[in-house]
Amino acid sequence: MRTARDMGLVGCTRCMRVAPLGTALCPRCGSILHSRDPMALQKVWAWWLLGLGCYIPANLYPMLETRTLVSTQSDTIVGGAVTLAQHGNWGVAFIILVASVVIPVAKFLVLAGLAFGVWRGTRLSKARQHLLYEIVEYIGRWSMIDVFVVAILSSLVQLQALATITPGRASLFFALSVIFTMLSAQSFDSRMIWDSARPPDDQEDRQP
Amino acid sequence: MTQTATPPPEPPVTPAGRDLIDRISVIWLVPLAALLVVLGVAWQAYSERGPLIEIAFDNASGVRAGTTELRYRDVTVGMVEDVSFAPGLDRVLVKVRVDQEVAPYIDGDAQFWVVRPQVTARGVTGLGTVLSGVYIEGLWDNSPGAAVTQITGLPDAPLERVGQDGLRLMLRAQGRASLVEGAPVVYRGIEVGRIGRPRITADGASAEAEALIFAPHDRLINSATRFWDTSGFSFSLGPAGAQLDFSSVAALVSGGVTFETMISGGTAARAGDDYTVYPEESAARASLFRGDDSEVLTLSAVFEDNIAGLTVDAPVEWNGLRIGQVSALNGVVDEDRFGDGRVRLLVDLAIRPGRLGLEGGAGRDTALEYLHESVARGLRARLASASLLTGGLKIELVDVPDAPPAEIETIEGGDLLLPTTESEIADVSATATGVFERINALPIEEVMAEAITLMQNANALVSSSETRDIPGSVNALLDETRGVIGAPEVQALPARLDAVLTEMETLVAQIAQEALATKLSTALTDASAASQGVSDAVSGVPDLVARLDAVAQKAESVEIDALAAELTELIRSADALIAGEGAQALPGTLNATLEELRSVLAQLRQGGVVENATAALGSARDAADTFAEAGRDLPGLIAEAEAVLAQARGTLAGYAADNGVGRDARAAMREVERAARAVSSLARAIERNPNSLLLGR
Repeated sequence: MRTARDMGLVGCTRCMRVAPLGTALCPRCGSILHSRDPMALQKVWAWWLLGLGCYIPANLYPMLETRTLVSTQSDTIVGGAVTLAQHGNWGVAFIILVASVVIPVAKFLVLAGLAFGVWRGTRLSKARQHLLYEIVEYIGRWSMIDVFVVAILSSLVQLQALATITPGRASLFFALSVIFTMLSAQSFDSRMIWDSARPPDDQEDRQP
Repeated sequence: MTQTATPPPEPPVTPAGRDLIDRISVIWLVPLAALLVVLGVAWQAYSERGPLIEIAFDNASGVRAGTTELRYRDVTVGMVEDVSFAPGLDRVLVKVRVDQEVAPYIDGDAQFWVVRPQVTARGVTGLGTVLSGVYIEGLWDNSPGAAVTQITGLPDAPLERVGQDGLRLMLRAQGRASLVEGAPVVYRGIEVGRIGRPRITADGASAEAEALIFAPHDRLINSATRFWDTSGFSFSLGPAGAQLDFSSVAALVSGGVTFETMISGGTAARAGDDYTVYPEESAARASLFRGDDSEVLTLSAVFEDNIAGLTVDAPVEWNGLRIGQVSALNGVVDEDRFGDGRVRLLVDLAIRPGRLGLEGGAGRDTALEYLHESVARGLRARLASASLLTGGLKIELVDVPDAPPAEIETIEGGDLLLPTTESEIADVSATATGVFERINALPIEEVMAEAITLMQNANALVSSSETRDIPGSVNALLDETRGVIGAPEVQALPARLDAVLTEMETLVAQIAQEALATKLSTALTDASAASQGVSDAVSGVPDLVARLDAVAQKAESVEIDALAAELTELIRSADALIAGEGAQALPGTLNATLEELRSVLAQLRQGGVVENATAALGSARDAADTFAEAGRDLPGLIAEAEAVLAQARGTLAGYAADNGVGRDARAAMREVERAARAVSSLARAIERNPNSLLLGR
């Protein structure tokens, strides 16, 4: 199999026009053309770090502050899930735990693993790596469901004295964390998975 | 796919490792910026955070680290960071991170307390803390001071509130007055202050509480101000009808205190001054004229007698002035001090020095000094009757002039023991009982019964027809008596009696002349003849004389007795007698009697006795002649005869008038005279005293 790069071409990632290798700017949309972004991994790591940094306070600070007539409750993400579980809402607790803890953490791990694999090589097959990448990219946006829930609750439950729900500080950090991990995932160039997997004497070179 | 003719051109690869800047992506600036922001925020937070102060509370109920706030004027100025125990676990230390801007104001006089929900009769406070949890309220003044890090928190909210300055007073409840925490101090219906938490005074005699009078109302307080309790209600039934008083419903339930400055001229109050809270307004007003009652000098006195009737609050008087009251009564047995194991009465006296009227302020010490001097001069305490009716006792301080020396002793426990003297208790009940018994013993009922009987008898007597007739009968009797006395015969009676007497005088004269003067010589001559007989006769004369005397006396007495009996009889039968014909005929009979008397006298004069006497004398002369003839020379005989004659003469001189008919006539006349006199005296007596007829006297 031949890549565009093998054929001396470079594809524009925006308008998908193919230009001869060495062209600096896309002749159609004018964006900068790179066969591979040399800074891609750095970007991945930078966003990843930011996302992780935001994820720490997102778990330490309360996500939601519920102020009712008789009590004021502020729960962190995990604490809220535990509270729900204690009250028997296993389903909701599971969803929250998956959406807010499992997925982001998995995302961090997968992104880090992919980036590390590109950098140092990995035993995972390329196809599996690519599948993971696609899952991460697809599912990453769903992490925002937590933030959406907080936003909706905060805007709906404003009954002044009776009950008030305000987003906690963690919700902001959580949203930032999600955004940064999405950026990190976007920065990852899936072609690098394949690049690293190909030795200099490619199979396709040896193909007839 | 076929092999292309032209080999693919070498892709222009950007040479790597040329420069660090070229090799590092710009994207790293983003996490760098984030890091900077984080560091900046952290530094700012650190640099702006205030000091940590440590507040010690008795308990930390509701205080939670990281949640409980410190508020000042209801603005959060700090947050509890830690709750822990003080060493020894006796206190709870609450560490509060205070905002830097208020930290300088938290100095030594800052106060902290935990605001908790409170439901009292006056309302609900701290309701917000039910929902939000407790918070710590701080109070400090507006001037920065030296920072402190360790402060003891208050168990309750202080009286002061932010922005409410005021005057702190100490209120002391008297009698039934009650002090309730948080109760208002009301003046003319406006709350001008608040009462703090009451506590029992050190001597246990009353309750006291701090009170705060808010500015500017504190200028209403001066030394002439009196406080009284307005809680509860008073019900009075008087000439104006029934009256129910209570100041407000809140005060009715929760208590309250009001005050008034009764008289002008008091000095301004200072912070911490003591004031007494009286149970009611009248007591507060009365206190103005009793001086300051706040100070009490407690003395003790031991009385030998255990006498019932002395009670707590019995008055202690000095010269009639009430200077205090009995505060406690106890028995005391102290064998060492008194020498026996008897129970004695130990009385505690609460003396109000203010009532002694001493100069230079009536302090406790001044009063005690004065009492020491007075005791040295003879002042003693004694029990005395306070009320005659109830038998209640009081303590009197009296000066005993010659009392044995004594002084105020200090006994164990620091009590001061006042010397006592004998009690003066008027046992009124005993005296009264005696009087009543005596009255009871009087036979009042018998006396009354007899009096009633007497009255009835008198009534019957007076109302009887006979009694009514008495005046008429008496009148008739008097008239008749008057008629008897006024009769001409009775009137003529004295004249006739006079005539009788004259005649009797002449008769006696004749007898004397004829018998003695003319016939004496013959009598002498005849005496010798009679001498013997005379001598014989003479021996019986003394007997005769004595008998005569007795007879005369007897006759007199008998006559008087008989006359009295006769008079009595006469009085009894006066009606009949006077009305009878005999009385009417009395004058006539008298006349007849006198006539007979005159005829008897005439006969006497005509011959009778005189002739007989003459004859007797003649025979005597004959006898004498015979003597002379027979023995003239017998001088002894003559002398004897002379003696006989002398004796005879004496006898005759003594009894001549009484002898013979003369005596009889005289006695008869005397009787008549007496009868007449009796009648006249009777008449006079009846005239003078008509009721003598009734009474018999």
